[in-house]
Amino acid sequence: MTLPSSKARVESIATTADMAPAGGSRRRFLGNATAVAASATFMPLVRAQSRSIVVTCWGGDYEKGIKSVFADPFAKETGIGVSLVNNADLTKMKVQVDSKNVQWDVFDSVGPQITAGARQGMWEDIDAKIVDRSDLVSPGGKDYVGTYLFGGGVAYDPKRVPEGKRPQNLKDFWDVQRFPGRRGLRTRISETLEMALVADGVAPDKLYPLDIERGFKALDRIKPAVKKWIETTPETITLITSNEIDYTYAYMSRVFPAQKAGSSVAMATGQTINSLEYLAVPKFGKNTEAAMRYVAFCLRPDRQVALANILFFAPNVRKAVPLVAAESRQYMPDVLNPASIIMNDGWWADKYDALQKRFTEWMLT
Amino acid sequence: MNHSLSPSATLWLLLPLTVLLLVMFGYPLGLVAWSSIYVDGAFTFKAYQHLSGSTLFYRVLANTLHISAVATLVSLVLGYIIALHLAAMEPRRRLPYMVLVMLPFWTSILVKSFAFGIVLGDNGIVNQIAAFLTGRTDKFELMFNRTGVIIGMSNFLLPFTVFPILASLLAQNRSLHRVAEIMGAGPIRIFLRITLPLSLPGVLAGVLMAMTLSMGMYITPALLGGRKDLMMANLVDIYTRQTLDWGLASAIAIVLLFMSGILIALLLRVRRAEGLGV
Repeated sequence: MTLPSSKARVESIATTADMAPAGGSRRRFLGNATAVAASATFMPLVRAQSRSIVVTCWGGDYEKGIKSVFADPFAKETGIGVSLVNNADLTKMKVQVDSKNVQWDVFDSVGPQITAGARQGMWEDIDAKIVDRSDLVSPGGKDYVGTYLFGGGVAYDPKRVPEGKRPQNLKDFWDVQRFPGRRGLRTRISETLEMALVADGVAPDKLYPLDIERGFKALDRIKPAVKKWIETTPETITLITSNEIDYTYAYMSRVFPAQKAGSSVAMATGQTINSLEYLAVPKFGKNTEAAMRYVAFCLRPDRQVALANILFFAPNVRKAVPLVAAESRQYMPDVLNPASIIMNDGWWADKYDALQKRFTEWMLT
Repeated sequence: MNHSLSPSATLWLLLPLTVLLLVMFGYPLGLVAWSSIYVDGAFTFKAYQHLSGSTLFYRVLANTLHISAVATLVSLVLGYIIALHLAAMEPRRRLPYMVLVMLPFWTSILVKSFAFGIVLGDNGIVNQIAAFLTGRTDKFELMFNRTGVIIGMSNFLLPFTVFPILASLLAQNRSLHRVAEIMGAGPIRIFLRITLPLSLPGVLAGVLMAMTLSMGMYITPALLGGRKDLMMANLVDIYTRQTLDWGLASAIAIVLLFMSGILIALLLRVRRAEGLGV
């Protein structure tokens, strides 16, 4: 759920190609097409004549969890129905906002997507009168707020890599002498630059503002050992299980389900990079106030604890952290661990484009 | 064409397709072109200026041309051999083999690219067979580099080269070969003087399709390529979905379209110069 699965990715690429140009004149054509597609989905809600909002989602177990923890209880408490739509792509959201014909009331996504949307001015400011942000692990921006954290770290195959030879943190991952082997890293500069700096010895709590030059120098060192720069999230697991790479950056929310399903993959949880999943409310929505109330509902400590117990995501509300069941906590990142990193998407907001471009060029040389 | 239709009948028969193409292809394409020069409510060539000064763009452009050319060449040579073999068969025997050629065409490109891992990986079938035969433990690097991209793309492109070549081979008048044989020409000479020149229209059609298809490849370089194998479509993806710079993405798409257009024009010119009109 951290990223759409590869299948969703390909589908979203197809739609991207269809929708790439932004232009008002095309609205009628698009409107007709989506009206046909949407009528089936929204009919029951229209018939019920009650207020309801649409929230974007990532499908699968994630959708089931969000429905039971956020959507259904919210509807019960407020009388506002919530329907979840999957494979929500930022490009589709932008088309809706640009054409002022907004169907999705709350957008649920990762940092780079949410901040890209913020840069384009797509989101409403979070209403401070409705949403309480006084007790958050990571406060978010003025127009988006984090709902939970997910952790990424060093993963390996415990059958192939004996105990004592398993890298335990990012410094080990960078140490090709002590831990020789084929490595996998992602093609995205955010998270990767943080990894490089911590591996190079920067203290996690003194990370921001990132020392870009030092980070790229550290990346130069690991470059020859990286066999695959991974583009799709599922590959972080499949490349380990198919013995194409030995160590990779992977997410806890991918590693533990794979482990439960019987794959030989494990990860070091002593040092993780904790990224946030955010909610944002698009401009020109028809139910902005209800959407803000939904955001506030998701940040209620009891809901945060319930989410952590079902989907193993770490709460973004401090009060909720110690209330999570112990057996759930072993599968989720420890957000209060001083060795771990908490992503600052606000720092990335205006630097992401240029640094991603530099990183892509760096990979090509 | 031996049959002839009256001009008005031709017009009416072509009309539905023309309308469909205009609405479903011409219109969206026009919007892409429009959004590459009309950004934030003003006309600007900013996107094109940015591209002309971008080393990233030139690198990726060079990659795209190199990978497309090599993949087209590989699928052309392999495709020609397969087509020759198929053309020599009895029609009844040919059918199952043609289905085999079509098979990769019917498989999802994503599934295929993942499946290549089983064949080309460090512990894949090729490396296992090689290790068994040679007794050596060092691996052939067949994935996550340019070799992997070209193998994957050639596999995808093969049906597009085999079928036009096969069609032009089957259309050849067999008596020409017999006459040449009677006149004392050997098989190589017959191939070079008769079979090959007569099949060139099929070859050109195959090259055109393979080249244009490979210039827009996305998923194969993403899954089978290494860090240096970024292609144009992957770059367009970065700009559309990650940075939401649709002006720049549209400009790249238009440049790619023009390059493909120029390539097609050049090839058609060669065909005319060679007098290879179909």
